[in-house]
Amino acid sequence: MGGGLITLIRRAFVAIGAGIAVAAAIRVRGHGGIPPQTGGWRELRGDDLR
Amino acid sequence: MARVLLFGAGATGARIARQLRSSGVVDVLEVRDPNLDRLDRLVADLGDGAVAGRGRRITDEPAAVVIASPPGTQVGLARRAVHEGIAVITTSNQTSEVRRLLALDEEARYQRVPVVVGAGFMPGLTCLLARHGAREFDEIDEIHVAKVGTGGPACARQHHRALSSTGIDWRDGTWMRRSGGSGRELAWFPDPVGGRDCYRAALPDALLLVQEFEGVQRVTARQAATRRDRLTAPLPMLRPPHAEGGIGAIRVELRGRVGVERQVAVYGAIDRPAVAAGAVAAAATMHVLADDISPGARGLAGHTDTVGLLSTLAGRGVKPVRFEGISTFV
Repeated sequence: MGGGLITLIRRAFVAIGAGIAVAAAIRVRGHGGIPPQTGGWRELRGDDLR
Repeated sequence: MARVLLFGAGATGARIARQLRSSGVVDVLEVRDPNLDRLDRLVADLGDGAVAGRGRRITDEPAAVVIASPPGTQVGLARRAVHEGIAVITTSNQTSEVRRLLALDEEARYQRVPVVVGAGFMPGLTCLLARHGAREFDEIDEIHVAKVGTGGPACARQHHRALSSTGIDWRDGTWMRRSGGSGRELAWFPDPVGGRDCYRAALPDALLLVQEFEGVQRVTARQAATRRDRLTAPLPMLRPPHAEGGIGAIRVELRGRVGVERQVAVYGAIDRPAVAAGAVAAAATMHVLADDISPGARGLAGHTDTVGLLSTLAGRGVKPVRFEGISTFV
């Protein structure tokens, strides 16, 4: 009974630790998406205001 | 030259007052505000032609009434002005109030006076840019607007409340109620604001846009928020808002058909929200005084001479931009 509980707790800690490790790796190594590489903002003038 | 009555001497109201005084089309500007110190300071700054008034009664038959009081206090004043046959320019960004202001349409048409609803940064400039951009489409299917930043304290409080209140989207011909703070989308605003996470909120833009774009399928409005904004949205504001927020931005994305092609157009603007809102309300007032705006209660998306209004705004320092390249609503 006591041994089973300890095993459960140990497994829970291992699972949480693994989750933290994966999250940390993604956070540190991830690139977070790619911002726009082309295009830009242009002021409205000339033909835009006719 | 005309006499104009302005309610509100806060961040936006003060900008409207300065813009109107420098426009050369208003010879007497009467300003009302319950904060008498603030009111007297503003009137002293404005100099000749500006007078401080008291109360909420409309007196001396002004040519137009401009309402820049806090959201929730504007509809009563607007109703009184319309009842007396006076043109009204409002700046409300509160959904329930915008709905009630739009309901003044019938009486405004009967009285033959315009009621400009939501003449601010968003709504306001966003509505104008949506109408302007729609000129190049044969059919508009979708309009998506978003904003970053707040003007004065009243605007900041409304922004805070909106994030925890129910928003409304228009989808496939039906109004959809959406939880505030949901629907995260990364929206790209003009530089230097750049990409910001935007969320649904209680924003009135869809109410103003849907009625002006027949056949539009989707209209959404979002506002930028940080994790802290979302976490604290259901709570009262934990500290008093700043006297004025920093730099803000708006973004208007139009999707539709040109010939047989589907196309996307993205417009934006960057400014301090109270400054831009003041310029938009002042420009709308100048066009109302020039009889350029037709009778009825509607937003600036219902104003067809977008070039005239945008040119007036450019003269007041508000210069919208257009994104050229790929669409960035990812």
